[in-house]
Amino acid sequence: MTMKQIALYGKGGIGKSTTSSNLSSALSHRGLSILQIGCDPKRDSTRMLMQGRFIPTVMDLVRVRGESAISLDDVVFTGYNGIRCVEAGGPEPGVGCAGRGIIATFQLLEKFGALKGDVIVYDVLGDVVCGGFAMPMREGYAQEIYLVTSGELMSLYAANNICKAVQRLASRVKSKCRLGGVICNAKGQPREEELVAEFARRVNSTMIQYIPRDHVVQQAEVNQQTVIEYSPDSAQAEHYRSLAQRIMENTRLTIPQPLEIDALESLAREFI
Amino acid sequence: MPSNPLPANLSRLGGCTLTGALSVTSHIHDTVTIIHGPKGCSHHNASLLHAICLDDDRMVMPSLISTALGESEIIFGGEEALRTAIRHAAGQNIRALFVLSTCIVDTIGDDTCAVCAEEYGIPVIPIPTAGFLGGSFQDGMNNALIALAGIAEPCPANGGINLIGEMNLEYEVRENSAEISRLLSLLGLSVNLHFVHDTTFSQLSLLGAARLNILRSPSLIPVGEYLRNRFGTPFIPSFPHGLSDTLAFLEQVADSCGIDGSTAVSSEKSRQDEMFVMGSGLNRLPVVLDRSHTGDEDLRAAGELAARLGITVDSDGNGLCLPVGSAIGTAGTRRMLHRWRRMIHA
Repeated sequence: MTMKQIALYGKGGIGKSTTSSNLSSALSHRGLSILQIGCDPKRDSTRMLMQGRFIPTVMDLVRVRGESAISLDDVVFTGYNGIRCVEAGGPEPGVGCAGRGIIATFQLLEKFGALKGDVIVYDVLGDVVCGGFAMPMREGYAQEIYLVTSGELMSLYAANNICKAVQRLASRVKSKCRLGGVICNAKGQPREEELVAEFARRVNSTMIQYIPRDHVVQQAEVNQQTVIEYSPDSAQAEHYRSLAQRIMENTRLTIPQPLEIDALESLAREFI
Repeated sequence: MPSNPLPANLSRLGGCTLTGALSVTSHIHDTVTIIHGPKGCSHHNASLLHAICLDDDRMVMPSLISTALGESEIIFGGEEALRTAIRHAAGQNIRALFVLSTCIVDTIGDDTCAVCAEEYGIPVIPIPTAGFLGGSFQDGMNNALIALAGIAEPCPANGGINLIGEMNLEYEVRENSAEISRLLSLLGLSVNLHFVHDTTFSQLSLLGAARLNILRSPSLIPVGEYLRNRFGTPFIPSFPHGLSDTLAFLEQVADSCGIDGSTAVSSEKSRQDEMFVMGSGLNRLPVVLDRSHTGDEDLRAAGELAARLGITVDSDGNGLCLPVGSAIGTAGTRRMLHRWRRMIHA
């Protein structure tokens, strides 16, 4: 099969890393070779795949050793079920330029030939805050973008903003970047599934998976595992496996149509 | 937010804010200037300053240090690199340090001022010079002069005159400086401080002692106003361009200092008249004035000179093309006349 590269974007704290890690785990159980790349200076994307360990980040290694003294083995760590994990890392909050850190990480991974396998999952920081964080959407990288959102307005707002970035990038000549769908990571508010499904429809996409709120996610997390590993027979694990299957079978890749702010707000009001 | 809306705008004329500030700080001898940015920002400026020193027969390397930021500093912040550079430079037996910012450090948000405010044993003076914010060469120069003026304390008056913002990168900066000194001497006045041209850091403390500030050009008026507010010193907004402007300048300086300038004016007028004794040799030819590299004041001075010589400037652009140089004072006008004579006799 050709290598599939997908990126998960969404508001900070919405559950991108949890979703990414469980998605990677579910994909790995389909016999696929998976690389998960955390593109967030918080560097906690891959923790649950690494028994709770914060792995050294590409940027930390560059800072301490210099680029020439790093090899592929220094930045790629093998975690749960053979999933290869990379954390881009970046500066401390409030200094430097995290976006440039993402660009530098991609260049380095490219140089090492690290971007290989059946599926690469990019787990990207909360919002597209500058050009650097759009790097995973650029040509040669993720061609399918998945938005992770709950039914909360601020989360939809962030998802809508990412639609703008995907739309703009999709208009470039060589760009293959498309929106693959919307993942509803529910907070448990009433009519949330309907709302997110309708949001997805209005931005010219589909809700590819509804993931209900479930306490087992927290239980798995305090045990420093993904749900797939901690409780493979749970209903929640089944949701993640379903997500993995739908993503692998997904053929509906669209150029999104972001909503105006008042259209977004009136949509949210309809489902209160 | 600054913008550049016209694609046709080649922006050749505004210059770089950083270079403008450097044209000032590099002329304070016992100091070092740190350029906080990638090394290329320092290299080009060092080359320019060095070439100008050579042109002036001075073998002086400008005392510049680059923090030489690379990608790692851009990602993780360049403040530590700046701190290291300041500590290194502060130990080199100098009186003060200037820290000039560049486009990239102001993009990533390095807090240059906060790092400069730490204790290093000598004054460390930050000057914001990121060019992408829309400032020009002139803004950089003005920012540097105002930063320097901010550290000078008021001091007793000594009756001297300050020359403000001499254009250290212009070809005839020394000649122009000497001409203004000569004109002042006709009035019995002398220069208190060149702010800043060929100066030491300790001399800057005399800034507030002058009775009058003479600005090199009206683009320095923000500096003149700052100095007037800080020290109460009045200012004249420009060096004189051309003949009649030079006589008016003498009167203006005399008035401002409350002295009688009539003797100085008449002696300078005789000096100017001597320029025309031998004629121009140009009066039978139509001429045009080359206005490509000149400001309005110099063009006006050139027009006045042509009129005094009785030669006709062809408004259709036909005829011998005469260069218009910087015509500061009588001497600058005489140099322009000399070039015109060379053109016709060449």
